[in-house]
Amino acid sequence: MIATKHFNVLIIGAGPAGIGAAIALSKRGIKSIAIIERNDKLGGIPSFYKKKKGGIRTFVRWSRGGIPVFGEDYAKWLEKQLVKTKVQIELQSQVCNIDAKKKILTLVNNEKREVNYSADAIIMACGSREETPAERGWLAGSRPVRVLFTKQLLRLLDGNHLLPMNNPLIIGSDIIGYAVAAKLKAAGASDAIIVDNCSKPKCGFFERLYFRMWSNPNYKGLSAKSIEVIGNKTVTGVMFNGENITCDGIVVCGVLIPNSELALNGNIKVELHSRQLVVVKDYQLSESGWFATGNMLGGFHGAEWCYFNGQRVARAVTNYLSNKPMNLEFKNEKR
Amino acid sequence: MNVSGKMFYSWSDKDFDESLKFIDNEQLGDMPYDIAIIGAGVVGCALAYKLSMYKLRVLLIDKNYDVGEATSKGNSAIVHTGFDAAVDTLESELVTKASREWPELAKKLKIPYEKCGALLIAINDEQNTQLDKVYEKALKNGVTDIQQLSAEQALELEPKITKNVLRGILIPRESIADPFSTSIAFAEVALTNGVDILLGTEIIGIENADDKIKTLVTGCDKRIDTKIIVNVAGMGSRKLADLYEGESFDINPRRGQFLIFDKYSRSAINRILLPIPTAKTKGVLVIPTIFGNLIAGPTAEDFAINDNTVTDSTIEGLQTLLDGASKLYPGLYEQPVIGTYSGVRCNCSQGSYWIRCNDNHPGILTVSGIRSTGFTSSPALAEYLISELHTKLGLNLEVNSAAIDSRSERSWPGWWKRPYSNYELVKESPEFGRIICYCEQISLGEIIQHLDSPLKPRTLDAIKRRTRAQTGRCQGFDCMVTVAEIISNHCNIPLNKITKRGPGSEIISTGKHTTSTKVVK
Repeated sequence: MIATKHFNVLIIGAGPAGIGAAIALSKRGIKSIAIIERNDKLGGIPSFYKKKKGGIRTFVRWSRGGIPVFGEDYAKWLEKQLVKTKVQIELQSQVCNIDAKKKILTLVNNEKREVNYSADAIIMACGSREETPAERGWLAGSRPVRVLFTKQLLRLLDGNHLLPMNNPLIIGSDIIGYAVAAKLKAAGASDAIIVDNCSKPKCGFFERLYFRMWSNPNYKGLSAKSIEVIGNKTVTGVMFNGENITCDGIVVCGVLIPNSELALNGNIKVELHSRQLVVVKDYQLSESGWFATGNMLGGFHGAEWCYFNGQRVARAVTNYLSNKPMNLEFKNEKR
Repeated sequence: MNVSGKMFYSWSDKDFDESLKFIDNEQLGDMPYDIAIIGAGVVGCALAYKLSMYKLRVLLIDKNYDVGEATSKGNSAIVHTGFDAAVDTLESELVTKASREWPELAKKLKIPYEKCGALLIAINDEQNTQLDKVYEKALKNGVTDIQQLSAEQALELEPKITKNVLRGILIPRESIADPFSTSIAFAEVALTNGVDILLGTEIIGIENADDKIKTLVTGCDKRIDTKIIVNVAGMGSRKLADLYEGESFDINPRRGQFLIFDKYSRSAINRILLPIPTAKTKGVLVIPTIFGNLIAGPTAEDFAINDNTVTDSTIEGLQTLLDGASKLYPGLYEQPVIGTYSGVRCNCSQGSYWIRCNDNHPGILTVSGIRSTGFTSSPALAEYLISELHTKLGLNLEVNSAAIDSRSERSWPGWWKRPYSNYELVKESPEFGRIICYCEQISLGEIIQHLDSPLKPRTLDAIKRRTRAQTGRCQGFDCMVTVAEIISNHCNIPLNKITKRGPGSEIISTGKHTTSTKVVK
């Protein structure tokens, strides 16, 4: 693999964490930085939460006195900060392969086609996704249409103004589940039924109270061995502890898993079952010069946490680049 | 290449492309068909493909909204050698014959195919004694290129398998292929050569079954005339046979569940791992797929014919698979499972490969009980059926010298050829450099190419089977809506009418726009 262009730092992913790192690196005087994003816009997951009349502000900016904002607004703020810098932005560009030893990325886009970029340091800010039913291990049954992930629901609801279901059932009881119940209710659906395999919802009390402004979902949490989806062409309900709960759509929520496949492709150490990256020290991965930030490190964090985390990684990267002795005190960032 | 056959859907929705709608019988021409094939699974498609080499008017009909949509989509994707088939049966004869044709067939029809070989292993004393019987059976079935292995030899070939292995048999010609592309390739060539295809069309009645020209009544109340009817409707063959009162037979669906492991597991195992087969099934296998995953399965669970949970997955079933497969490859417990699926074997109580010529009526051919081997045997079975049609049903065979017997180079699936690496192609058509499915790295160009392909696929699942978008580890988390938007834009179908598997499976249940559509300025 031979690179056609060299950068000081390459960042994979232009969500809050990647943008946070890019801005901080730029402020720290790093000259050539590129940020690579496979989507057609900046901002990552928050950008899918559109600003709407009667919509729900789901992102909290603690830095501005804890005021909830629309995800899209936060994404726009990030974009504004980023374009002020001289960071090169590559949109609609998918990193298809990496060479971890040589620190080279192969990216594909429709203008440059397949190109190889190299760098002195590479930050992975690839975020996370929701676990599939099979990955959860307790979801089975049929595979009808309208069993959606939160991101798919957002793109239909916020991106296309389409309400996919009237009587929703939500699987997963963390904050995302409650936010989804509120969003669906605000869009015209009825109060959702939330199910999970634990007796109490995972979402905290105050967060539930906040979403009560829009919706009062019915929580059914039992130590169920399995939930089975029912429905031939379209989903009609679930079987849950012998009870048939009817619905016309399911949202499979929460339970995040890091997007660590690029690291796996490049033989960077990843714990296989959990997909967690192995952090050696100070955000550094098992290969020298590779760093990770944001929700890709695991856990479950809001947009602003990821932004600040990106800034901290920028400090670690700057230290690495200037060959300063590393901060050996290793902290595994968890909420 | 000119497509001479016609292709329509019985798709009632007003927003669906008019030019693809089956509205009027005149669209099919006024001459009766020489032969109507009911069921566009892999067997029906193979038969249409082989018949398209003759000067005949052929119609291929299916109630689903794509070819290969039912039983043919959920299998182990193995091209068998037939080494363990029941000796001296039609099934064994056809599987053995077809397995030798497959390499050439895959090349000309552009079906991804790999001769990966299989390793049968005995892990306890009982199995060890059974191993010799399997070996002798294979020789009787004409699979002579097999090799007995010691435990050390087996571990040398596949170092990651269980250390409990006592002995093994290497079957070098066992192969894997893309089952989706197979039905599609057969149907595309058939269509190009002039076979007409009607999808989304259920046959609900047969009139004048004893006459020379019979009439098919469709669910959308159209009448289609044909001289010969071939019933290859798989799980639906019983219901269809009732329409013409064919000879009695019973179908006992047998479910097979599978687990799909992520691509990082594929490098661990190179060959298909087989346990010693029992009387009922081959047991739980570990199978590398042509797509680069590992799968484990199948289970064998019997169902009643009308049970619609037959393609469901169960937690118990999946746990059984993991336990069973781990006996062959213990490392599987560590591997992330990304998905599950189940398929149904069309199991006939009266025996497999249940074929009846002139089934209570002249000119009707009933084919049922084509079990899991049907994927492998389909090309040989189609040839066998044509010879039966010729000798027993009086079908006149005149070779059509204008017929083509291949697909173009561009028909190779994108995931197999990686068009984004083709510098010239992306320069010419930049959409091949716009990646839509991140997990499988499938581009916009590939999706559009398939939407414009001869069979005009219009559902999410049809695009999934052709491109592999949505089949990766995130199971459509990132790309499902994008793919729906692409179908909507390219085919001019409103987004809320995009379906997973045809009408009745719309991604939007309400058809409603949200109450707050106004964007705040």
